[in-house]
Amino acid sequence: MRALGHLYMALSALVLALPIVVVSGAALNGGRSMFFPPQDPTLSRFAEFFLTEPVWTNALQNSIIVAVGAASLAVLLAWPIAYMLWSSGSKLAQVIAGLGSLPFAVPPIVFGVGLGFYWGFLGGLGDLWAGVVSHAVLLMALPLVTISIGLQSIDRSHLDAAATMGATDAQAFRTVVLPQTLPYTLSGFFFVLVLSFNEFIVMFFVSASSYATVTLQIFNSLRNGYTPTMAVAAITFIVVSIAVFSAIARWGDLPRLMGADQSRN
Amino acid sequence: MSVADGIDVPLGDRPAAATRLNWSKLLPWGFAGLVFALCLVPFFLVLAISFGRKVEGAAWVWDFTFENYQRFFVGTLWPDEVTFLYIGQLGYSFWYAVIASCIAVLTALPFTLLLTRLRRSAQAAWLVFILSSLSLSEVFIVMGWDILLSNNSGLPALFKSTGLTQWLKDTGHFQTLRDWGLANPRNVKFKTSDFATILTMSYLVWPYAVILLYPALSRMDPSHSEAARTMGANNWQVLRTVILPSVRLPLFGTTLLLFVFLLGTYVAVTVFADPAKHTTAVAIYQNVRGANLNAPFGATMAVILLVSAGICLTLGHMLNRWAAAR
Repeated sequence: MRALGHLYMALSALVLALPIVVVSGAALNGGRSMFFPPQDPTLSRFAEFFLTEPVWTNALQNSIIVAVGAASLAVLLAWPIAYMLWSSGSKLAQVIAGLGSLPFAVPPIVFGVGLGFYWGFLGGLGDLWAGVVSHAVLLMALPLVTISIGLQSIDRSHLDAAATMGATDAQAFRTVVLPQTLPYTLSGFFFVLVLSFNEFIVMFFVSASSYATVTLQIFNSLRNGYTPTMAVAAITFIVVSIAVFSAIARWGDLPRLMGADQSRN
Repeated sequence: MSVADGIDVPLGDRPAAATRLNWSKLLPWGFAGLVFALCLVPFFLVLAISFGRKVEGAAWVWDFTFENYQRFFVGTLWPDEVTFLYIGQLGYSFWYAVIASCIAVLTALPFTLLLTRLRRSAQAAWLVFILSSLSLSEVFIVMGWDILLSNNSGLPALFKSTGLTQWLKDTGHFQTLRDWGLANPRNVKFKTSDFATILTMSYLVWPYAVILLYPALSRMDPSHSEAARTMGANNWQVLRTVILPSVRLPLFGTTLLLFVFLLGTYVAVTVFADPAKHTTAVAIYQNVRGANLNAPFGATMAVILLVSAGICLTLGHMLNRWAAAR
């Protein structure tokens, strides 16, 4: 039974990895078409993606700007909401938190269509900053959750201790709340970073074809057939994801963030 | 005394204190306004534009007409002629999403159960892998499966070179595959087919299923299963009488969330589904950004998709409450 369980997990991992392995392998092709296993293996596609091909370097630059900008903005938006929810727990705070999570909870294509109209009226359609704000709003729910988990983990007796020793609210916030929630804030930041990097459909409507992120560029190229350079993009993305989540697992408590039981280890 | 106190206070302090008070009161409301403007207004716009009217040769104008909704449910020429084309597309959205979310949850359940039994550090390592695959863009996943399933490379080529195709033909199973639309006269084919669409869609949400089931399963008390085993229950009985009843609600909730998420799948459907079986999400794109250029009708379909999702979530919530109360 135990062996059967391990077999099932291994099989699941295999199926999960299968398309990723195939795409990664295809990146090594020497020619213009995708073959698996790769023919005439070379690493020159990596140089094309990162350095020489303007289509891809521009797209990569846009992706990075949008992801970093959206992650920063999402954390800045989520912090006050999570803090209000934790410190007051008022009805208003609950409503704001509910509204903030809404875009993430509905089918993304609907929010994408809405944002397309929205920026059309406000005049940001096709501008990179509108893409940044759109992703920040879409993914705000993630830092909202991680920061809330972090705030809940603060021992209230530490705050009482700070208060009895004469710390003002601001001092207690700086010396107790902020350091203890930092790993959770960073986790939220990186969740947004990775998901924004990979998000497609909302960006599709918001960019209005005037700029392309890597995922958009790949979708645009789907019609002309695959090239090995696209596979390099896929490898880059999966490596970034693994690096980010490994860092969260290393410096934060990933099982706890994912909602595992605390009492068992 | 009190009068003297009042005089003692420097004049500049009072207004300052008053504004600080206002600030702390106003800030949450200001924030509420900002979140409202960013999170809710786009949805209101979709709703408002869904009542708009397309202008031939131009864009569209504001209006308050139910024509778009009529077109969606019974067609423009109703009552002379009735067409269920758009309802049919919504039906395909539901069909793919229901099957794919059920498959994902049913296969993720045993995996997650096994995952929670591992050491904490091993769990973290698996979670890194699951999360990386979860965040991988839809376009990459579709690209991977497209290479795997396309006719000139991947599985069909593998079938042919290993002689599996010939074996299927000899044993007569090939005809069954042809009946299911999974083969052409020469070899098996997976593009375009419901099989490829549903496979990719369930692959897309499988990591989500694990992540959503993980909290509930990791909080499950293992002593119950052990007690049942000591009393002589076999594995199947433990699963049926102890584990499944205790995770029934999260199992149902997860399926529902994945279903709603899959209702809007776009890339997988455009690449893998037969054009005659395209979904509402594809039609929304074609009207808002694509060839049709009928933004109000696209908005109408978006509203209907959203309302359908909302109805499913509400029904699910009610069913959950009913089941929990029993």
